[in-house]
Amino acid sequence: MKNIVIGRFVPGKGFLYRMDPRTKIIALVFLMASAFIIRDFTTMFVAVGLLVALLFVGRINIIRVFSGLRPLMYLLAFTFIFQLLFNTQGDLVASWELHYSPLNILAVTMLVVTWFFVRRRLPFKFFFFIATFVGVIALFATLRLGPAFATGTLNIHQNAIETGFFIVMRLLVIVTLSTILTLTTKPTDLNLGLESVMSPLKVFRIRTEEMAMIISISLRYIPTLLDEANKIMLAQASRGVDFSEGKFKDKIMQIVSLLVPMFIISFKRSDELANAMEARSFVPGQPRTRLHQLTWGFADTVALVVSLLVLTAVITSRVVM
Amino acid sequence: MRIIDIENLSFHYRAGTPVLEDITLHVDKGEWITILGHNGSGKSTLSKLLVGLLRAKKGTIKVGGLELSENTVYDIRKKIGIVFQNPDNQFVGVTVRDDIAFGLENLQIPRDTMIERIEQYARKVDMADYLNKEPHNLSGGQKQRVAIAGILAMETDIIIFDEATSMLDPKGRNTILSMMKQLNDEGVTVINITHDMKESLYGDRIVVLKNGKIIKDDKTDAVLKDQEILEKSNLEMLLPLRVLRLLESENVKDEKVRSYLWQLSLTG
Repeated sequence: MKNIVIGRFVPGKGFLYRMDPRTKIIALVFLMASAFIIRDFTTMFVAVGLLVALLFVGRINIIRVFSGLRPLMYLLAFTFIFQLLFNTQGDLVASWELHYSPLNILAVTMLVVTWFFVRRRLPFKFFFFIATFVGVIALFATLRLGPAFATGTLNIHQNAIETGFFIVMRLLVIVTLSTILTLTTKPTDLNLGLESVMSPLKVFRIRTEEMAMIISISLRYIPTLLDEANKIMLAQASRGVDFSEGKFKDKIMQIVSLLVPMFIISFKRSDELANAMEARSFVPGQPRTRLHQLTWGFADTVALVVSLLVLTAVITSRVVM
Repeated sequence: MRIIDIENLSFHYRAGTPVLEDITLHVDKGEWITILGHNGSGKSTLSKLLVGLLRAKKGTIKVGGLELSENTVYDIRKKIGIVFQNPDNQFVGVTVRDDIAFGLENLQIPRDTMIERIEQYARKVDMADYLNKEPHNLSGGQKQRVAIAGILAMETDIIIFDEATSMLDPKGRNTILSMMKQLNDEGVTVINITHDMKESLYGDRIVVLKNGKIIKDDKTDAVLKDQEILEKSNLEMLLPLRVLRLLESENVKDEKVRSYLWQLSLTG
């Protein structure tokens, strides 16, 4: 529990690490907006090219970016497949006749069952999942085993491919961009930047400083609470609670035995912390000076101008085309 | 010169069960007083009343001539710092540097002064090498030292240690105690709230609290030798003092001294 990393920040070199968090947040918003506006292939490819260039120039750990994208894979695959199957606009690109016969269904079932049993032992689980899915459709479309009791058609349309492609690319770009932000910015700096970027909301009586204070205290107490949870689990284990096994009902009881003390301790902690903060002259809503100051450099101006240029370029290309 | 004047102070959470009753206590500037008492004697409540975290039901508190009220509570908090019992629950900042800065930010100290003071007081509590460390990488004693630095940086006249050593190991406890001594030598008024007899050895004066009442307020050595008062408040006299008392009362010769010491070393 001594080396808990909060967030995904990894110290590194490169200009992105030195940049003001405010710049990164605003540029992120501009670039995300651009990703949504792009509607043609060439611009999208250029954008992806620029993004890859940014990863290299900024000396970002590519493996970490990929690991950030991994949980997104299923979502992307499903979106794309759904588009292919159900979007029926535009020209017809391809069409297959699906042959539903008892023997075909048996073949498909065998494929699925094989996948089900070997999947745990396979590397690249995701690709095998997609391959199985495509395999099921391919079997129906190509195999002609015995008489069919029903037939269906699978039509793929132009728009389905295009829309699917754009949705996938947009999501990839957006997640990569935000991964760059979290990889290159310390949680505390991110918090400070967010507070500063959100400060215009004060007009609507939203107390951004207090929100930032809440976030920073939460960040500070995550390791403490994890430590606490660990201690309680050990204490409960010594009284016979087994956290690793049991039926669903037992699991709930185990979680309750962890959560109830956690809640009580947390309330007590917050009470004491509030006292300590007040004793040190903290008054909610009062102005405070700041130890941490964000410094705006030349690189920040450049980065902001570039991202704004990207946004305008994308908008003009959309208007012109 | 008086720095704290408490007159007829009473407090209760529920009517009928007083936590503090008719407390009158005066503290001089630069003094080190120990408030000694068992759990539930009301000693921590007293420290919370002093900085206005709780509001007294009766009586007055004056700090540096200023009477505690809703209007003065923030000025009074600038004069008194409290080091609380649990090192984890008073660490506000994400790092040591941020935590020392917290109080200074609240006082709206300009950033340049803040940076100077953080360096200065971190060095003073011997935590200058840890400024960028996070609290979960520090020991309890180190966290308490950071808490002290945070209060010192605010340059308060009075520091209350509210059982500040009770959750520390012996080593951490000793560093905190020697730090208290150093600060007191430099003119800081120290109020140490504790139930530990050894800690009360330090300091000029002991105030013994029992069930919300002051039952003794006297010089340290007088209180430590007062068997009656200590028994009354469920505190045990320190072993050497017990030896001394026995020797005095029995008017012993050399051989007897030995046998008594034998007995004591076996039991104590």
